[in-house]
Amino acid sequence: MKRTISILLVCFMMVALLAGCGSEPASTTPTPAQQTSPSSGSNEPSAPTPEPEIVDRKFTKTRSITVEIYDRNNDGGSPPEDNFFTNFIKEGVLRDHNVEVTYIPVGRWTEVEEINNLLAAGDAPDVCVTYSYPTIQTYANMGGVLDMAPYLEEYKDLLPNLYGLLGERNLFWNKDPQTGTVWAIEALLFNQARINTFVREDWLNKLNLKEPTNLQEFESMLYAFKNNAQVLLGSEANQMIPFSISFDVGWRADHLLAAFVPNDMTDKEGYIRGFDDRHILYPGIKEGVRVLNKWYNEGLIWKDFNLYGSGDSTEDNLMKAGYVGSFIHNWDYPYRNGDEGIHANLQRLVGPEAGFIAVAAFENDAGVYRKFLSNPIDRKVFFPSTNDEPLASLLYLDWISNLENRKFLQIGEEGVNHEITADGAVKMLSATGDKIMNSPSNIDYTITINGLDLGDPTLTAKSLSLNYPGVDPRYIEKAWPLSTKDGRIIPQFNVGEIKAEEGMGPALSQKRDTFLVQAVSCPPDQFDAVFDAGMQDYLNSGGQAIIDERTEKYAQFYE
Amino acid sequence: MKTVALAGSPGRGKKFIAYIKRYWTLYLLLLLPLTYFIIFKYIPMQYIQIAFKKYSIVKSVWEMPWAANNGLEYFIKAFSNKDFINALRNTIMLNFLDLIFGFPAPIILALLLNELPFPRYKRVTQTVAYMPHFLSWVIIAGLARQLFAPTSGLVNNFLTKIGLDTIPFLNEPKWWVVTYVFLGIWQSVGWNTIIYLAAITAINPELYEAAEMDGAGRFRKMWHITLPGIRTTIVTLLILSLGRILGSEFDRPFALMNHMVNDVANVISIFVYKYGIQALQFSLATAVGLFQSVVCVIFLFMANALAKRFGERGVW
Repeated sequence: MKRTISILLVCFMMVALLAGCGSEPASTTPTPAQQTSPSSGSNEPSAPTPEPEIVDRKFTKTRSITVEIYDRNNDGGSPPEDNFFTNFIKEGVLRDHNVEVTYIPVGRWTEVEEINNLLAAGDAPDVCVTYSYPTIQTYANMGGVLDMAPYLEEYKDLLPNLYGLLGERNLFWNKDPQTGTVWAIEALLFNQARINTFVREDWLNKLNLKEPTNLQEFESMLYAFKNNAQVLLGSEANQMIPFSISFDVGWRADHLLAAFVPNDMTDKEGYIRGFDDRHILYPGIKEGVRVLNKWYNEGLIWKDFNLYGSGDSTEDNLMKAGYVGSFIHNWDYPYRNGDEGIHANLQRLVGPEAGFIAVAAFENDAGVYRKFLSNPIDRKVFFPSTNDEPLASLLYLDWISNLENRKFLQIGEEGVNHEITADGAVKMLSATGDKIMNSPSNIDYTITINGLDLGDPTLTAKSLSLNYPGVDPRYIEKAWPLSTKDGRIIPQFNVGEIKAEEGMGPALSQKRDTFLVQAVSCPPDQFDAVFDAGMQDYLNSGGQAIIDERTEKYAQFYE
Repeated sequence: MKTVALAGSPGRGKKFIAYIKRYWTLYLLLLLPLTYFIIFKYIPMQYIQIAFKKYSIVKSVWEMPWAANNGLEYFIKAFSNKDFINALRNTIMLNFLDLIFGFPAPIILALLLNELPFPRYKRVTQTVAYMPHFLSWVIIAGLARQLFAPTSGLVNNFLTKIGLDTIPFLNEPKWWVVTYVFLGIWQSVGWNTIIYLAAITAINPELYEAAEMDGAGRFRKMWHITLPGIRTTIVTLLILSLGRILGSEFDRPFALMNHMVNDVANVISIFVYKYGIQALQFSLATAVGLFQSVVCVIFLFMANALAKRFGERGVW
């Protein structure tokens, strides 16, 4: 017994010692090569030499490239680097351009870390994709990214589909106004819909209320929900949540806050104060947050919202259970995920009449339902400096930008992935086995476009509303246009890199979320103090420096 | 103490060879862990340079250019960052509270368990008490929300039922610290008790018998025999935990924190994650990590020296 204990003790001490020593950051340790390809190994970017070996957009000698592919690890999914759709691309690119494609799977939720390791080891795929431009800018500053500008210009005639889909606008979106470098091209955001305000349609009907069309009506609707909890929820009346929100107040109150921004805000101001994608620096936002603070203190907002972090499903579950009266979220949020989704659960638990419907409820000072939409850019595609096949890589992008090819990737095979309805619209089916799509509309393979595009806008819109299995198309038909109604896009002002923004994104986003959460949930008489202190901290921690540099650069290039 | 063989003393050299001949197999065995430490602990230490250099993902660590201000750019950057100062303060505060409340807890529990007369009951209690050690903090944080959330938490529901006000266990900074320390004790107390119980079994039972003859009660025996008997263990563990005063766990504060309590929950490891890993500022993250390690080592030495001064053995 004594001996066992002493062995145990020794083991414990060893573990404790190892744990104590293990605090060195390990992120810089290169990982062993995962894939050998002819393009990896060399650290020198190859010079843009003319390629005589190419005839009719086809290499005479076979070239090889590697391409990053997100691995979402879905239940029942196929291997992302080897399935029906990758074979479709591989065969096509080899046939049309004589380029051999190898996919390198990268975890969707750890992509930045994995690409870091691959870049550090010199094994990054020739074609890389990420959502975060600052990440690419950081790599570029370290000398890890190939300048695409000379290749895009030299090979323009060889890339009709890429130019046709993205145009000069998206291809040269990130062109530095002074040096002319292009570190990444921007995929096309085809679907502009972003956010919607949802209310329980069946509750409105039960209480004989009309859909709210302005803030006052929306607020009285929330009171009506609260005061009639007994009618709406019966024995579960104390679970009533008239309006639900999360820690990400900027996103989850977007339509409400945007309505408080003066309609005559200039594009210049919109750009200079627009670093934050929740628009927290726009004028007027504070009064919008004050409304939320009032609602919170009047018991109209979910009391525990500030406890749960991103990815937590508690709030979704409350919606599914039917306790939530209204919320603001992604434009199609309640209709997503088919059988597991909010809509399907409501129908099961509450009844066939239950459902959230999109409404336009927040007018601004000019009486329009203003919302700020994104520029038509999406993921960013870049070539690491180890890429020595830039033309072959561009031809790959060209191939997947071809309408016929990307259409097949988005809707798959007829009878397996989709069926054609009587009026010609495409209705998606859930496929299984090798032909399963690992991401909606195969978004991971169509890295130059985000959003269903069948080549015909009316057909696309019609098909989109059939894309939600189990949801009455009328919900989608209402949500889709409302999400962009009276939308405003602050145009791009291309002033090159803003140094003050480097490395600030995550820290400032967290500060923003923190002070918004605190401002919403403090007592009303402390609201001004909490909001102002939080905003001051945000500005002092880098926000003001960004505003100043943007102002300066704006003056330099546009005034 | 004097093991250095002098060049001019052949007798010692011969002895040394004989020694090696006899024990070389043992040294061969030692080679394996030594290699492990060299490859995985010492070779990576060259990357400490990153703290003083401008990090580049495509260059070897030896080729990276030095950072500004004689390489101290990132240390200056860290110390002029309000968030870092805040993280430093929180790390020390939370670790200090852990030390004050968390360190004595397993000693007390071990003493109590030791007094239990039924061995089976004692064993079951011990097992139940150390189970939480195997739970991940993500799970504990989930449990904590179920129990302590202001409107839906079990504890607060109970408080409202009996007519009391709800307590903001998780969303008010002061209460959050209490919850944090409490959950820490709950999670680790049973596990740490094992060590003390092991030390207690090593105490000579004759001492207790003699004390009984002299008419000592339970409390007297605990105070005069058990506690002094495990004093060396206590001091060793105290030194080790003092060495961790600036070290910080990541998952515990990260899983338990929320935006309402950021001001007290932001610790150094979270700062490193946010500024270093998420925002790709590896030099800054390494500088902070190095600072943390150096302070930890200093504390460790100080605690050890202090222990030796008070007549204890220390850890080396």
